Amino acid sequence: MTSSERIAAMLATWMPSQRWFAGKEWPVTGVRVLAHAAAGDEPALDHLVVAVDQDVPGVGPRSTAYQVPVSRHPEPQPRLEHVLIGESDGFYLYDALHDRQVTGLLIERFRAREQSRELTYRVVPDAELPDDGMDSLVLTGEQSNTSLAFGDRALLKAFRRLTPGTNPDIEVHAALAGTDCPYVAPLLGWIEGSWDDPWTGLPTSGSLGMLQQFLVTATDGWKLALTSVADLFAERDLHADEVGGDFAAESFRLGQATASVHGSLREALPTSVWTDSERRVAASAMQQRLGEAVAEVDVLAELAPGLSQAFTDLAELDQPIRVQRVHGDLHLGQVLRTSVNWKLIDFEGEPEKPIAERVRLDTPVRDVAGMLRSFDYVALHSLLAEHADDSQLAYRAGEWAERNRTAFLDGYTHGGDTDPRSEQVLLRAYETDKAVYELVYEARNRPGWIVIPLTALERLAS
Amino acid sequence: MTPHGLAPTGTDPLWFKRAVFYEVLVRSFADSNADGIGDMRGLIERLDYLEWLGVDCLWLPPFFASPLRDGGYDVSSYTDILPEFGSVEDFSLLLEKAHERGIRVIIDMVMNHTSDQHPWFQASRSDPDGPYGDFYVWADSDDAYGDARIIFVDTEVSNWTFDPVRKQYFWHRFFSHQPDLNFDNPAVREAMMEALRFWLDLGVDGFRLDAVPYLYEREGTSCENLPETHEFLKDVRAMVDEGYPDRVLLCEANQWPEDVVEYFGDPETGGDECHMAFHFPVMPRIFMSVRRESRYPISEILERTPTIPHNCQWGIFLRNHDELTLEMVTDEERDYMWAEYAVDPRMKANIGIRRRLAPLLDNDRNQIELFTALLLSLPGSPVLYYGDEIGMGDNIWLGDRDGVRTPMQWTPDRNAGFSGADPGRLTLPVVMDSVYGYQVSNVEAQSRTTSSLLHWTRRMLRLRRENPAFGLGEFIDVGGSNPTVLSFVRQFGDDVVLCVNNLSRFPQPVELDLRRWEGWQPTELTGGVPFPPIGELPYLLSVGNHGFYWFGLTPPGEDTL
Repeated sequence: MTSSERIAAMLATWMPSQRWFAGKEWPVTGVRVLAHAAAGDEPALDHLVVAVDQDVPGVGPRSTAYQVPVSRHPEPQPRLEHVLIGESDGFYLYDALHDRQVTGLLIERFRAREQSRELTYRVVPDAELPDDGMDSLVLTGEQSNTSLAFGDRALLKAFRRLTPGTNPDIEVHAALAGTDCPYVAPLLGWIEGSWDDPWTGLPTSGSLGMLQQFLVTATDGWKLALTSVADLFAERDLHADEVGGDFAAESFRLGQATASVHGSLREALPTSVWTDSERRVAASAMQQRLGEAVAEVDVLAELAPGLSQAFTDLAELDQPIRVQRVHGDLHLGQVLRTSVNWKLIDFEGEPEKPIAERVRLDTPVRDVAGMLRSFDYVALHSLLAEHADDSQLAYRAGEWAERNRTAFLDGYTHGGDTDPRSEQVLLRAYETDKAVYELVYEARNRPGWIVIPLTALERLAS
Repeated sequence: MTPHGLAPTGTDPLWFKRAVFYEVLVRSFADSNADGIGDMRGLIERLDYLEWLGVDCLWLPPFFASPLRDGGYDVSSYTDILPEFGSVEDFSLLLEKAHERGIRVIIDMVMNHTSDQHPWFQASRSDPDGPYGDFYVWADSDDAYGDARIIFVDTEVSNWTFDPVRKQYFWHRFFSHQPDLNFDNPAVREAMMEALRFWLDLGVDGFRLDAVPYLYEREGTSCENLPETHEFLKDVRAMVDEGYPDRVLLCEANQWPEDVVEYFGDPETGGDECHMAFHFPVMPRIFMSVRRESRYPISEILERTPTIPHNCQWGIFLRNHDELTLEMVTDEERDYMWAEYAVDPRMKANIGIRRRLAPLLDNDRNQIELFTALLLSLPGSPVLYYGDEIGMGDNIWLGDRDGVRTPMQWTPDRNAGFSGADPGRLTLPVVMDSVYGYQVSNVEAQSRTTSSLLHWTRRMLRLRRENPAFGLGEFIDVGGSNPTVLSFVRQFGDDVVLCVNNLSRFPQPVELDLRRWEGWQPTELTGGVPFPPIGELPYLLSVGNHGFYWFGLTPPGEDTL
């Protein structure tokens, strides 16, 4: 067995226990090294792209490419115990992204703008890279990627599951770098990798990592909004606009930021107008999802005709619909409040889907609808979690959501050139589609929460 | 800072960067001769108290001779003091006694204008060709400088007023009884220098320069912040540096920090105009942040505050003798502040709120402590307002801004121990309500209970003095996982203090990324209790409602306190 075969064997047992590993329930039949770039020594960094072969019952074999940087130490490293991959040839192997002794090598490579057969480090002009010796720390709470903060300067998002082509998050940030858009975290650079496709064996390439400015003072909008709701609930008898923790001004600014980002996306990336048939296809996809949801969740049946009307209206809408690149999955958890303003993050789209689908042009109303749904969620989330049967607070929660939805729309109108409320048909269709998705999700995972999307759907159906 | 007497002249030029200032209204502090009005000798008698409290510098608002139509900001002689306050000799004695205790004294200086009762103006209006004929800004018509805004929109309709004696218009940026001096006239500049030297020779430690932006007028401009004004300030500074080391110029320019920063002068020289300037917007932002339970109003204004020359310092305050000024907030914020903090229309004044700190915060001890801790730890030298250290109340039924200028409450005795005069003769009535009245809230009672706000304030001032990072250190916003918690580090050499402030009325957890100080040992400063050392992972703390921590951070391998 060669050294890299031994590493592959260890990875076969280690990888399925990692959070970012997809399809944990399917047996791993093999791990193959697709690309390997080495750097440093004692400790050394082996930058690997591997193929994981699995057997999916009823479907057959599948192969997925993963990025696994590995650090190699001659001595055991107690502080890295939790990311030990195994022992081989007298070396101790660890997940390199957690190993501060080697992560600095990545920044060195950026500095050197290194280009090799396997790896290319790109740096945005005038980017301020982290200083040498800035310690890195893996951020917690991430699902499909691994993110490292270098000091308080930069954030490296390392993609774990690899797909061919440029990651949409990099593509969007690189395009926005030319527009002076203040509402996204500036891109510093990115890493491109080349490997052999695990399925066809043909040479292929794609994004391995993305280096951005670290928003050190930021917190996400969801937390900020929860604080406001908690403050409201503590008062009980005051209206949402009367309590100290009123969030409407933030919602307004968030609307402005969203509109501005949409404007910058139009400026920097392709736009189009939907043809009749594209619009009908979009509407019928929504109809189809509704149909599937009705089949799965009984309570939806009586609302279905009203909801279906929203999609029929969209299909028959006799006006041009401008489409462009959008965020695609915008909600309060995808926005960060920094000391100076709001930033929209994570333009990656749904990692499960192929890139072509993730970059498809859509109407900005999709993002607006997503955010409106999020206001509903944050208000009712606190209610259900702590005060389930309190009708007084339920009323307050409704007020809070309405007040902040309105403020967001006002801000969006102020920061751009359109009021989404003037596109009632589109907005209703997208909100309905989103709420139908939520309903199915809650019915499957958290039946107690079904009331959140259901309340919205009752409103949307009438 | 030496406990007894000041360091020798010239040895401590940056004292103002570490100092805690205390604004004291002579009129309302202590009355030595039972005429109902506070005076210099009364203040001298209370210096022991101020030394005990631990303040470093007194700021005395105007006490020059004046007809008192604008709280003394209408000066009728630059070298005399109001007779009811005492004599120039009494003031000299105050300086001597304060300096013996290591306390400095700065005074207000109104350079832009005088009272219309000033002999200069009287001479100027009656004898246009005489030596004072050109001391003020005169014109035959009232149409020049049309781009200058009117500041007191409540009372004034124009910046020009017709003088029936001279039969010309005179220029005034403030009240029509306060004509602006003509700084284009070299004799005016020299007269002003002479006035400054008069007080410097007596031994004052500096000036708060009032209404600085308006000294000059130029057609087609807003007549504010003109280059000529900066030139004159540079001359004043040069005069001070030349003959009076260790004295300080504190600029009052109620503008955004990015404009105020001009008044520090050339950064290359470390600053060659004013040593200090007030940072106005930070105060309303503290109020906003606590009401909103969000750190962003404060973080944002600090993020937007430009760097200042290295020998300069901001002055920050929570309350002072004016209303809580809301000029430096957005319209949205002003409406909000009015709604939240000025529940009664009488609480509003001009575009501010006339309340003291304790009533603004509903007398909530936790909040008063949080606000004070923020004042003492944010970048800048803090300026306390007399009486706030015992949580004094206000009297919104008094006119203008007098509601926050009532007599200091020393004892539960007659007139709050402020004066032996007949109660009816007092300059302003003492506060007598059931919550803040002098029977409840006074220095005597609070000095006897060590849990009082007064003792707490004193302890905090001591901690501030022990940690030079507060006055001299860099400010690093450390963010954190919880948006209702404002956390920052002040760092000066090896003195590192971590401040964690819970702006919410509920207890909060927060995770802080403190990797920069990995391995360091935090010690809570008020109690000296060591907390777990900082590791690689986020540092977890929980903070009580409106609570705060000050931690001293000690590097690995060194002993803690």
